[in-house]
Amino acid sequence: MRHAKAVLTLLILVAAITALCAQPEKAEREKVIIGVIGPMAVPEGQAEEKAVKLAVEEINAQGGILGYKVEVVVGDTKLDSNTATSEFRRLATVENADVIIGGFSSGVMTAMMETMAETKTLFLADASSPSHAQKVEQNYEKYKYWFRVSQNNGSTFALDLADMVKFLRDSGYEVKKVYVIRDEHVWTDPVIEALKPLLEEMGVKIVKDVKIPRGYSEYEQLILEAENLNADLIMPILAISGTGDILVKQWATLKPNLLLAGHDLSAIDAEFYEKTNGMANYEIFIADGGALVTAPPTEKCREFVEAYKAKYGHYPESHQAYGAYDAVYLYKMVVEMAAENGEKDPFDPDVLVKYLERFNASNPVQLTRTIAFYDNHDLMWGDEYVRNWISQWQDGKQYIIYPPSVANGELKLPPWIQK
Amino acid sequence: MIETLIKIFLFGAVVGGIWGLVASGFSLIFGVSRILNFAHGAAFVSSAFLAYALVNEGYSLYFAVLAGLMLAAVIGVVVYALTKPVREREVMVIIVTLAFALLVQQILLILFGDRGVSVEPFVKGVAEIGGVKVTHMRLLSFVLAIICLTALEVFITKTNLGKKVMATSQDSRAAMMVGIDIEKMFLLVMVLSSLLAGFAGILYAQIFAVNSEVSLRALIYAFAIVILGGLGSLRGSIAASFIVGYILVITITLLGARWSEFVMLLTIVAILVVKPTGLFGVEE
Amino acid sequence: MRWVKGAALIVATVIPFILPEAYLYILGLAYIFALMVISWDLMVGYTGQVNLGHTTFVGLGAYIAALLQTPLRTGIALHPAISIVTGGAAASAVGLVIGIITLRLRGYYFALVTAILPLVFMQTVFIWRELFGGEEGFTIENTLFTTTLEKYCFSLVVLVASLFVMKKIVDSRIGLRFMAVRDSEELAESLGINTTRYKVLAFVLSSFFAGIAGAMVVNYRFTVSPELYGVPLMLLIILSAVLGGLGTLYGPLIGAIVIYLAKNWWLGDIIRALSLPINDEIVLYAILIAVGILMPEGLYHELKGRWVKSISSGEK
Repeated sequence: MRHAKAVLTLLILVAAITALCAQPEKAEREKVIIGVIGPMAVPEGQAEEKAVKLAVEEINAQGGILGYKVEVVVGDTKLDSNTATSEFRRLATVENADVIIGGFSSGVMTAMMETMAETKTLFLADASSPSHAQKVEQNYEKYKYWFRVSQNNGSTFALDLADMVKFLRDSGYEVKKVYVIRDEHVWTDPVIEALKPLLEEMGVKIVKDVKIPRGYSEYEQLILEAENLNADLIMPILAISGTGDILVKQWATLKPNLLLAGHDLSAIDAEFYEKTNGMANYEIFIADGGALVTAPPTEKCREFVEAYKAKYGHYPESHQAYGAYDAVYLYKMVVEMAAENGEKDPFDPDVLVKYLERFNASNPVQLTRTIAFYDNHDLMWGDEYVRNWISQWQDGKQYIIYPPSVANGELKLPPWIQK
Repeated sequence: MIETLIKIFLFGAVVGGIWGLVASGFSLIFGVSRILNFAHGAAFVSSAFLAYALVNEGYSLYFAVLAGLMLAAVIGVVVYALTKPVREREVMVIIVTLAFALLVQQILLILFGDRGVSVEPFVKGVAEIGGVKVTHMRLLSFVLAIICLTALEVFITKTNLGKKVMATSQDSRAAMMVGIDIEKMFLLVMVLSSLLAGFAGILYAQIFAVNSEVSLRALIYAFAIVILGGLGSLRGSIAASFIVGYILVITITLLGARWSEFVMLLTIVAILVVKPTGLFGVEE
Repeated sequence: MRWVKGAALIVATVIPFILPEAYLYILGLAYIFALMVISWDLMVGYTGQVNLGHTTFVGLGAYIAALLQTPLRTGIALHPAISIVTGGAAASAVGLVIGIITLRLRGYYFALVTAILPLVFMQTVFIWRELFGGEEGFTIENTLFTTTLEKYCFSLVVLVASLFVMKKIVDSRIGLRFMAVRDSEELAESLGINTTRYKVLAFVLSSFFAGIAGAMVVNYRFTVSPELYGVPLMLLIILSAVLGGLGTLYGPLIGAIVIYLAKNWWLGDIIRALSLPINDEIVLYAILIAVGILMPEGLYHELKGRWVKSISSGEK
């Protein structure tokens, strides 16, 4: 009797597992499935999911892709490589996603690229580590399904930072000495490597290069040191420290005779001004991803921002939203191009890779930003493409102050600066 | 040279003062009820988050701070209730309080996202002491911390209630036999220490900023400081928090910011290896 | 009881033919996670010493094995099987050193030092970045298995083998001594048992298997990253062990698989389906608190108790 009860339980268990995972045989295509993957507990992942869903809604309203209805499936990486690879695999093989969009966070991306290579799924990605594009260069056949869509390669930050310094000078703020505060992380090394010679050319000296660990909070000492060394500005190169708000707060409280200008991921956040009680005023930062809520570079971008607000009640919470939205439309475009050209299977990733590669320097495509790819599938950088606009927080709003082709504001110096 | 010394002295003192508030609360709980309250960090951050949220909604700063402190006290009561049934088993106390701390952390993450928030400072402006610029807020926190710690010391040693608390910490069974309601003592201590932690959290959020991750970090610092000073010794914890503050500041000044946490952790481990009962600890 | 284990084994070997590949992959990772949890139970459940730094050894095993398989960084390329074992050995060596130093101390000191350890080791990954790859981690070069099926079988085999070894240990005289230390250290000392020696032994064994688990993760995923040292993993291990029942090995085994699958498979789906404004971590921690207070013995004892009752009352 007791054996029977237990055997029955076991059978039910096996049946349940089977039922949960049994998938019908893949026959005729009935729809297009777009996968979104990212850390869904943080704004970056949530913005990606929302942007993709918005794009898909719009596309379905206009008849879908090649007449097929589009569906969205979501994976949560939890910023953990194990979970990310499992989720990617699930989206690709169980949900049968035709393309996967997103990623966020370079470390997790590296792990997912391996799964992508195995499942041969088109991956329109974000994250900024140069190592991803390098993989495509070194082993094209394996990694060719990867394309960086959301933001530029991290080392382009050096170009933008150098341009920022030049712009400050041209606007009348003399810069001879710079105090760098950067993340203790592999991503800042290529940036500083590329930045040094550019600054040297301009006659600018880096008086100190300070690396800070994650969660660091004692910026006051560094700010005072910068003042003692007569630096003209403090240049943060921060993304993962998580404490950019403390830096700007302590800078605004101490009111030293120098600017705060550089790359700080937290400053891009639309709520940054509020979260720092207004202390973020006058901070100059570069806008990853090439778009800001208050300064959309293209008409389509402006429409997207308003549509996002209309649907979700607030503006995009992170710049990954633009990349994700563009990725969906990009996918639709290449599938349609492939069908027009008479390709047997316009959804075949190997085929689509070729069409995506057509968007190069001389043939960019204008979505919410102007997109083109290098040979190694990295996102093209430049005034006419995507670059990290030089921006500034002024009285609660973000303005782009350089380059002039997209600028909608002017440089404002904090009132306590005497130069 | 003098300037550097003054800078180290001032900055170290302020950092030490804030951590002293956090650690003293932790020490109190452990000393009295032998509970390793891993949820201590939860009180530290929650009060700051609530204060931030209320100020944002338009409430006055002082009201917001008071509300934050209330929340911290409530957390103290909750932890007391959660640990009451499992007080005998050390493993369970750690696990239950740790799980609670993480629960709070996740709730904060959902409510506020993973970016930090700061609370409006009580005072603005910068002062110059011996050629070194120090913000008024830092000076105020130092003063407030000293006041609180002194008040705590006076309470424990001079008042009747304080003496009962001490008695319970030395021998809870004997205290029970003499007629002291030890459950009330435990509850009182839990609420008091959470209040201290909550206050420290608000000060911290005024000078720096808090995010959900800070709660675990505050816990580790508190834990480390208390062990360094010696479990059960309030004075030891206070002394240890200043030592930790100075080690942190000195490391940043001399070695560089990237080494700050690493050196501090290593020092703590080293001291523990050499003198396991801490600097002022009482041998059990 | 014995045939339940047999049945479970049969299910585990048959599952690859039923489950789609993606889920098999998760299950394989669940087995590795279970190894981490059981090895933690070996220390905490049997000797009663609360080790809050188990992930130190998982991470150590992972990084050592990864480095031995990546000639680009170290110039060495060992066979994966050897590097996995080396990973475990290196982890246990560190465990030995730390154990000897800290296990002389009272329980809470041990808890504190072990809590700080993973943080210290994580810092080394960032500071010596050229070697360890920093926050991003790195990819390893030569691997043993490439298909999910192979990986799954390997995890299963290693799990069963380790479990077998650990069970033998706890059922032996050594195991009895462990439990004596847990139940009453003073009594054990007075009986002439060198409690420190047995605590260190448990610690070394525990860290060996943790190191192996870490090295296996690397060979599974082909990449290594610092989150293997992290606090979230440690908490998941604690949750699984407590849920399953400390000091039983089988309890934590079940707890681990249930929790891992819940976290990575269906809990998220349920929450999304119900559109609850919480995330799965909150659910898990709430469960942990409830279990800690209401069912401190864990599921294993609860179920076993009921089972025994139903047998004795059901037998006519």
